[in-house]
Amino acid sequence: MSDNPPASLPGQSDRVVQVDKLSKKYGDNIAVNDISFNLTKGEVFAFLGPNGAGKTTTVEILECLRNPTGGQAWVLGYDVSKRSDQAEIRKRIGVLPQDFNAIDRLTVRENINYFGAMFKHQLDADKLIELVDLKDKRDEQFKKLSGGLKQRVGLAVSLVNDPDVVFLDEPTTGLDPRARRDVWGVIERLKSQGKTVFLTTHYMDEAEYLADIVSIIDHGQIIASGTPDQLIDNHGGKKTLIIRDAGEEGLKQLPPGLPKADLRNAGDIAIPLHNGELTNILMSLGQTPLRDKEIEVRRPTLDDVFLNLTGRRVSEEGN
Amino acid sequence: MRSRIYTIISGHFKSWYRSKSNIFWTIAFPLLLIVLFGAIFGSGSTKFDLYVQNKDLVQATPTPLSQGYVSALNNTGAFDLHMVPAEQTDPVNYVKSDAQPHNRGQRLLVVPVGFASELFATKKANISLYIDQSDQASQSLKGIIFAATNSYATHLPPPLSPSQPPDISVQQVGLVTRNIRYIDFFIPGVIGMTLLTTGVFGAVNTNGRYRELKIIKKLATTPLSKIEWILGMVGYQMILATISLVVILFFGYAIFGVTATIDIYVVGLVVAASLLFPGIGMVLANFVKEAESADAAANAITFPMMFLAGTFWPRESLPYIMKIIANFMPLTYVNDGLRDALIYAEPAQALANTLIALGLAGFFILLGSLLMNWKEE
Repeated sequence: MSDNPPASLPGQSDRVVQVDKLSKKYGDNIAVNDISFNLTKGEVFAFLGPNGAGKTTTVEILECLRNPTGGQAWVLGYDVSKRSDQAEIRKRIGVLPQDFNAIDRLTVRENINYFGAMFKHQLDADKLIELVDLKDKRDEQFKKLSGGLKQRVGLAVSLVNDPDVVFLDEPTTGLDPRARRDVWGVIERLKSQGKTVFLTTHYMDEAEYLADIVSIIDHGQIIASGTPDQLIDNHGGKKTLIIRDAGEEGLKQLPPGLPKADLRNAGDIAIPLHNGELTNILMSLGQTPLRDKEIEVRRPTLDDVFLNLTGRRVSEEGN
Repeated sequence: MRSRIYTIISGHFKSWYRSKSNIFWTIAFPLLLIVLFGAIFGSGSTKFDLYVQNKDLVQATPTPLSQGYVSALNNTGAFDLHMVPAEQTDPVNYVKSDAQPHNRGQRLLVVPVGFASELFATKKANISLYIDQSDQASQSLKGIIFAATNSYATHLPPPLSPSQPPDISVQQVGLVTRNIRYIDFFIPGVIGMTLLTTGVFGAVNTNGRYRELKIIKKLATTPLSKIEWILGMVGYQMILATISLVVILFFGYAIFGVTATIDIYVVGLVVAASLLFPGIGMVLANFVKEAESADAAANAITFPMMFLAGTFWPRESLPYIMKIIANFMPLTYVNDGLRDALIYAEPAQALANTLIALGLAGFFILLGSLLMNWKEE
């Protein structure tokens, strides 16, 4: 264990989460390997990585569900390894576990009140129902809700004690795109209310859309951290000019002297852009049959960042 | 803390009464069993235990006639005879105390002093048969004894028979103070069975399914402690047990006229069952993590217990080895205790069974609590 003290006394700092050289081993398997990061009050922090990267293990250490095997971590200035501090942490955090379901036969309102009763102080259930936009479903039993609505109940439950920091573990996994957007809307509302949110996800677009700070974790180690823009600028590579649906034929029609082009899925041609090259490339394409194709300039995303850092992409399922 | 436990109880209870299948298994199924068993009630075909006291002695040796009568009973092949010493002055209590630890039926046949001399003098004799009317086999057993007695009488050597066989009458005496029928025996068994199934399955399902749904993980991140969670579950089981008890007893009274005595032992047994069976369920849920497998494991535990612990029929009709196994089954003591308290009005035996059930309850709830993972590791 590190002897480093927390940067401040409990409740007296903007540092909501501090993680210092944290490790977790299961036998010979190292789930989390010497990671360090901080989370500041009011931030949405995304812990981004594929399945099995160590996201849930880390977040569960911070939620006092698991004990670290090395390093230290503080939540709101309280040491996650100390029993006496754990009781204080539990009072002050909100948690949405991965794949969480509330109690089937209780209504939305009853579920919120059920979990709220575990705390000394709880927020008004109707206000939370309003926040997650479930007014029409308040008296509906949980089992009758769709996946997206269930997840919104989970979000309301995670906020029931008006927590200082909310841990959302893969809150949109398995949801359809529309339901995911709805959940994003709730998280944006939390952000606008100044809540501190610790989000784990394997969806690159989710992290890019919601997070102020992103830490990318792979094989138990943090491989990059920063704002989404910083990560993209530093590791995303160049912008790309995309010629839609041009196919093999299109490749042959490209004028000479352009940077090396790739043929991607669905027959799109991708041409990496260097500074100041866009105008010249567009002008030369204008001389070819490709001028009639749909052309767009694509900015690198966190997908590209992950690809550049690890040499592989994360699938929709998170693998 | 009280509010958290109340919330857990109320959450479980709402989930229970909103599920039609829960209502069926907790209320309707036991009532259905009572109706079916009460209506059908078949007879057994195994050997019956029968205690025999032969008091007709001459110089401490049974008279040939009385010994012949006992042999005639034995030769039917229908009985396992257990002899009560002739000098035993309270043979009924002797039988009660001897039969229970051996899982034997409480039936006693007394051949009186002067049996042989009365036969010679008056060609008449009386045999006393002490029998428990709750005994599933009582009708068959009486039939065999009557038939064997008649056969014995007609085969006696002259001058007693065959021209005019003597009149040997078998007088039936209730072994317990009240007239107990099979349904009286059966209803406490159904209560025990319901406490068993709601307790074991309740704990298995709650702990297994809530774990799969991450509800337990979520609760573990709140100030709720493991002990509060367990107390909530036990409180809920006590409410269910009380509802089951009241509904089944009311039904038994309304349909079959079963009258039961509710006393401190019944309360003790309900408390014991509400700790004992969820405790067993928690131990199971710990070893079998997946909800579905845990359900199968619960079936594997509850079904044999139900059949061996004297829920549907007296344990004495079981093979010897099964009787031994039944002694290790917690439900045995709950069933026996409930019968002693509710029906037989046997406070001493009810107390003994209640204490055993409470001891087992303490052990299992403690073991289940220690084994239950509240944190993830």
